[in-house]
Amino acid sequence: MHMKWKIITCLIFVLILGLGLPIKALAHGAKIEYTVNMAIELVATYDNGEPMAGAQVVVYAPDDPSTPWLTGVCDDDGRFTFIPDTSRPGTWVVQVRQAGHGDMVHIPVGQDMVATSGVGGFGVLQIVLMSACVIWGFVGTALYFSRRRA
Amino acid sequence: MHIPDGFLPATVCAAGYVAAAPVTWYSIHKINQKENPREGVPKASLLTAAFFVVSWIHIPVPPTSVHLVLNGLLGAVLGYFAFPAILIGLFFQAVMFQHGGLTTLGVNSIIMGLPAVVSYYIFRLRNILKKDSQIVTGIFGFLAGFVGLGLSVVMFVVILLNFIPASFDIETERAAIYTLALAHLPLMVIEGAFTSLVTVFLQRVRPKLLDDA
Repeated sequence: MHMKWKIITCLIFVLILGLGLPIKALAHGAKIEYTVNMAIELVATYDNGEPMAGAQVVVYAPDDPSTPWLTGVCDDDGRFTFIPDTSRPGTWVVQVRQAGHGDMVHIPVGQDMVATSGVGGFGVLQIVLMSACVIWGFVGTALYFSRRRA
Repeated sequence: MHIPDGFLPATVCAAGYVAAAPVTWYSIHKINQKENPREGVPKASLLTAAFFVVSWIHIPVPPTSVHLVLNGLLGAVLGYFAFPAILIGLFFQAVMFQHGGLTTLGVNSIIMGLPAVVSYYIFRLRNILKKDSQIVTGIFGFLAGFVGLGLSVVMFVVILLNFIPASFDIETERAAIYTLALAHLPLMVIEGAFTSLVTVFLQRVRPKLLDDA
């Protein structure tokens, strides 16, 4: 009998040890969950480079272009950041408006979305060249109509 | 001053085109009644170029900045050529630089072109007084430039205030519109002074160019 109690006591000890160690290990465990969210940062500026500080922003999801998905305001640098719902892939529309001025941008968002950037408008050189072409058109028209008739 | 695409309901954009069409037709009709309609084309073309490019000249009026329009000058110097000239200038601005937009071209042409026609009639009032006096030309030139832009600002503000989309905060947008309208007050004086200078200069060097008015 004495021997029997020794075995039982030993088994109980092993059982407690066996159950106790994992409990101790779980208490020190850590868990990291992650989801990839692609944030979209907009910078809204006027033609002269001035930021559209305080401009209102309205974001429309692709499947509901009439109801705003998100509204907000640009910061002092004309920046606005939002994380689109990638489960709603398609072309997201963002409208920035201040005193009847502003613009609308179409941003493609999908499951396999990669980081991209888009710039609306033109560079200074492009603007100068385009203006020069159009002005030359007007000057040419003026010259054509002011020529002396033979 | 240029209302971009997507900022006005489709009905307003359509109404803008409907309103612009008869004004354009009437302007061309009046031009065709001239003895030599081609005669006014060179100066109209050059001033269209000026109108096209001048929107890049920004004048800082804290807390915002405004750009020159020159619709009063075009009205004073071009007469009935002013409306088609502004329409063409706005078309190029919309296509090349997205200043304004193609859907809002009609509305924008009414906002800027109709006051130009009014400026033409204001400038013509100098004929009642001494037409050859530079002081009279200067005064009416100033009024043409001042009132031309002033009327545009009023029309711009009225249209925008009445069609703020519900998705935007109406009070914030309204405050921003009023701020922009106030910023145009000094610009009205600048455009008046500029129109006055140009008309007086033209009267001194080439008075024939002011014959329309």
